[in-house]
Amino acid sequence: MIEHGSGAKTGSGANSVAGDGAAADDNILVVRDLHVSYATRSGPVAAVRGISFVVPRGKIVAIVGESGSGKSTTSQALIRRLASGGRIDSGSIEFEGRDLGPMSERELRSIRGGRIGFVPQDPSKSLNPLMRVGDQIAEALRLHLKLDKAAAATEAVRILAEVGLPDPDARATQFPHELSGGMRQRVLIGIAWACNPQLVIADEPTSALDVTVQRHVLDNIDELVRRHNTSVVLVTHDLAVAADRADYVAVMSNGEIVEQGTTEQVLSSPTHEYTKKLVESAPGLASRRLTPSLTALGEQQQSSAGKLFTHTRPAQPAGSATASGAIPAHSGADAAGATNILEVSNLVKTFALRRQGGGSQVLRAVDDVSFVVPRGSTFSIVGESGSGKTTTARIAARIASADSGTVSFDGTDVTSLSGEALRQLRRRVQVVYQNPFGSLDPKMSIEKIIAEPLRAFRVGDRTHRAEVARELLEHVSLSPSLAQRRPTELSGGQRQRVAIARSLAIGPELIVLDEPVSALDVSVQEQILQLLVDLQVQFGLSYLFISHDLGVIRQISDHIAVMRSGKVLEAGTAHDVLANPQHEYTRELLAAIPGQRAV
Amino acid sequence: MTQVKAWAGYLLPKLGQFLFVVVATYTLVFVLVHFLPGDPLIAALAAKGGASTVIDPAELDALRVQYGLDGTLWQQYFGHLIAAAQGDLGISIATGVPVTEMIGRAFPFSVQIASLALLFGVTSAVLITFLAYAAPWPWLRQLLLQIPPFGIAVPAFLSGLLLISVFAFTLGWLPSAGARSFDAAILPAITLALPVGALFFQVFSSAVLEAQNSPYVFTAVAKGVPPRRIFTKHLLRNALLPSITILGLLIGYLAGGTAVVETVFSRDGIGRMTVNAVLARDINVIQGVVLVVGAIYALVNLLVDVAYGFIDPRTRIGGGVPSRARLGAKK
Amino acid sequence: MTNLRKPGFVLGLIIIAVAIVASLAPQLLATHDPFESVATDRLLPPSAQYLFGTDNLGRDLYSRVIYGAALSLLSASLAVVVGVVVGAIVGLISGFVGGRTDFIIMRFVDVLIAVPGVLLALIVVASLGFGPVSLALGVGLGAAGSFARVMRSQVLRIRSEEYVEAARTLGVRSPAILVQHVLPNAARPVIAMAALEMGTAILSVSALTFLGFGAPPPAPEWGALVSAGRDYVATNPGLSIIPGAVILVVVLAVNRVARSIGGDE
Repeated sequence: MIEHGSGAKTGSGANSVAGDGAAADDNILVVRDLHVSYATRSGPVAAVRGISFVVPRGKIVAIVGESGSGKSTTSQALIRRLASGGRIDSGSIEFEGRDLGPMSERELRSIRGGRIGFVPQDPSKSLNPLMRVGDQIAEALRLHLKLDKAAAATEAVRILAEVGLPDPDARATQFPHELSGGMRQRVLIGIAWACNPQLVIADEPTSALDVTVQRHVLDNIDELVRRHNTSVVLVTHDLAVAADRADYVAVMSNGEIVEQGTTEQVLSSPTHEYTKKLVESAPGLASRRLTPSLTALGEQQQSSAGKLFTHTRPAQPAGSATASGAIPAHSGADAAGATNILEVSNLVKTFALRRQGGGSQVLRAVDDVSFVVPRGSTFSIVGESGSGKTTTARIAARIASADSGTVSFDGTDVTSLSGEALRQLRRRVQVVYQNPFGSLDPKMSIEKIIAEPLRAFRVGDRTHRAEVARELLEHVSLSPSLAQRRPTELSGGQRQRVAIARSLAIGPELIVLDEPVSALDVSVQEQILQLLVDLQVQFGLSYLFISHDLGVIRQISDHIAVMRSGKVLEAGTAHDVLANPQHEYTRELLAAIPGQRAV
Repeated sequence: MTQVKAWAGYLLPKLGQFLFVVVATYTLVFVLVHFLPGDPLIAALAAKGGASTVIDPAELDALRVQYGLDGTLWQQYFGHLIAAAQGDLGISIATGVPVTEMIGRAFPFSVQIASLALLFGVTSAVLITFLAYAAPWPWLRQLLLQIPPFGIAVPAFLSGLLLISVFAFTLGWLPSAGARSFDAAILPAITLALPVGALFFQVFSSAVLEAQNSPYVFTAVAKGVPPRRIFTKHLLRNALLPSITILGLLIGYLAGGTAVVETVFSRDGIGRMTVNAVLARDINVIQGVVLVVGAIYALVNLLVDVAYGFIDPRTRIGGGVPSRARLGAKK
Repeated sequence: MTNLRKPGFVLGLIIIAVAIVASLAPQLLATHDPFESVATDRLLPPSAQYLFGTDNLGRDLYSRVIYGAALSLLSASLAVVVGVVVGAIVGLISGFVGGRTDFIIMRFVDVLIAVPGVLLALIVVASLGFGPVSLALGVGLGAAGSFARVMRSQVLRIRSEEYVEAARTLGVRSPAILVQHVLPNAARPVIAMAALEMGTAILSVSALTFLGFGAPPPAPEWGALVSAGRDYVATNPGLSIIPGAVILVVVLAVNRVARSIGGDE
């Protein structure tokens, strides 16, 4: 019994999720027509606009939405602790039959941590850095269960063991910085479950973690739910995680719940447009290699027609113009160069980790890495944090230098280029960074940003560069009217398009893409990936693509290398690696991709 | 054993830095005094005896020897440095008394008001921050937060004279001058506490504000921890940590501030002694005072560094093998 | 500018404007000759004729305060210019060049900071002689150290921004990066800091003139006015407290405007 689409918006559907004839008091939490707004300089802004849902006892309800959908605000409203300026305007939050709205702070405090646990988003910042982790769990026990100091300490160690921390006795006396991200998240889960609450709200509990760690942490939550019969509100941006773990799903967009129901119903037969789009673009759920769109193929054929932008490419000087002559003349993309645009062999990069009080330890961030990128194709490196994938990419792009090994570009050794010769290499190798908020100078106009490489290489005059910038904006599907805006006025996806346009301006052959979509919402991710695939065909580009997300990798790669601890464990064509993984770790990575239980 | 080694590895560079600052401070003053135009001895004698003082060259040379101003600049530089290391800062040109003795006599008076001022200033900064944190109404919080910027803008001579005119002359509660009794230290200490407390407040309150919006405080709230305990257990320690690093800066402020405050309250002390030395162009005294103040500043910074090593578990000494998390973070 | 909608900011600007007029064209605001003594009008309380009262020689305190603005504010401005120019250049070089140059420069800066500003100013004054210019040089030198630090940290912050690395990988040369990325992004915090330094410099200069190191009497420097009134604090507290309050008001105004420029609130 599901109320579809518009029904949920009216605010009458409080029981819509678990309406299967269940009595109302089987619901631990009932939210009715909740409105939340934030005070800003230009008046109140609504963040949550009349949502209603219920959480049945012992069930997991996922709230899924992209950034700005209001899902995090909702989770904070459920314990009545909003960020400053936030207020609940109307509606009710009934927990075990009592409305939290009119409760005093004192009453709320006995509920928070005691009967409603909360697992926050960012494990690296959510623990007090100056307090031992055992004490941070014991604090909740002493407050709510009134345990004495010794009993609380013993119980804290037991909880650490229950959330799967090895050697809990020793861990309890450690400080947060001595634990890994996954362990810290387990401590936070321990705090949330410490007093055996009826309800736990988990706000993106695993989005800051590596995918294999994410899987273990989510398994741990599943286990706690089963053992303690806890109800959970799982807030996530990742539809695939919801698909794997939740009994019910509510999809939020723009502060409203646009669709809710059992997980199976929502995922297999979404009725709302937004849900459909979300299900389609979730990389873990149904990803496949993207193919160039028809318009891109059409443009490829006429790309040699006299467009402004293509004029800039033959502006490549003949070899004599490059200062040292180290880079051979590049006579257009169609000319026959080496089959492999990039070859790296036996790269090694070490970092000395200095320890407090002398002594150092050597970290082999990149350990004997070799691969080739065939011209016109996409070579991807996948790995978790600390795998060395980004360092490898930076060396390949000659941003960083290796301790040993060679990088050769288009058949020429570029390993030790420096100064002007290295600068000339930038005409042919460009980089797109992960964070579109950091990689664009906030003080520059979009037009200036895109034209910057042209200016650096003295291509054309000011009017010409402005025209090229506008044309490039069209190529990345942005309106040329954005040319005079500043980056801060653009959304994340728009900024990443600008960064891509900038990398194209000078007409490079190889683009190194370092996690180019991981800072973006899933629906935007797919658009950017599609854009990259189209541009590759139009301009004959080669990509070196770095990502932690196998779902994304699958959508764009021709060849894949899997890295861990600085080493390439396995490499091959995308199909081989994904369909027939040879290395145990690759199989583990594939198994950890969320969304496998669903549909 | 490894513990000792770890401490040595941590302390030795800091100790070197301490020595460097002291020697470099001495060098800076030496350069300023000797390379700016004018003969320092003649200027001092002129200040002593009036502009028309005429001294015959032989007598002048004798005086140069007496005040350690003879020989080449290199000889003077190293001679004074070695003497200073042995605790001899030369002889005052204006009074003929050894500088070490003058500083030793004036020092306790200044330390008295400076430490009281530090105590008043830091306590009230923490108190105002807590009140602002706990204030139930936004307007009250705003009002409390306006006090410290005001404290920074008040000239010390103004606040000093106001305090004198109210508490000494109008109410007659406290003495307006002198340094003989403890009572006499209260008004100067309050005067000094104003800018020092305000400076500390700026750093401390912004650290509290930052900590207040931090995810770990959210975790504490979600745990059901009451506000007062959040302030004492979670905010205070985290916010004090960055705040103690400006302690050295505060000592510098105090040293400068005593010059005005001791003049306003007609108190003996380092500050007033320095002012008199400058009026008499008595470079030996000036040099000695700056050296001592620079050394104290460097010493306080050294102590702050050591304290940091103790308090913050992230920089705690001898903490075993770095965990995987640290390796990952360094990437 | 949203700042113009804040009453505190606007009031600050008005006060600063009045202070500037007073220092450039004091005759527009003064009501009396600041040096003329009227023997019969000594130590009078504030009135319509003498807005701030008269001093022990029967001179109009209000006009003396107005005429004092020029000396006090000009030394303070000179101090800020010295501090900002020296500090900003040193910090910029240190931060942008980096490496050993940075290390050596910063050790010198450490020393400048180790000596309290007032003491440093006193050394300079003792060596160069008393007067507004040596005061300004001394105070400026004292500020240069912390200024260099701020500038350097700004440069380092911007240098580590991803858009600077991006510019490098785009093929932009170092000088162009400095001009196009580092300077525009460092400008605002540095200007705010310079404005804030103006308040501090006014305080330092007035403290030093209070101690008697400024222009010789009867020049009406603000600190010297307070000092001159000290002897009458038991009977005529206004004589020193009014000029002191004027300093306070001007410093508050300058700081308020500086904070708004820095985007503090």
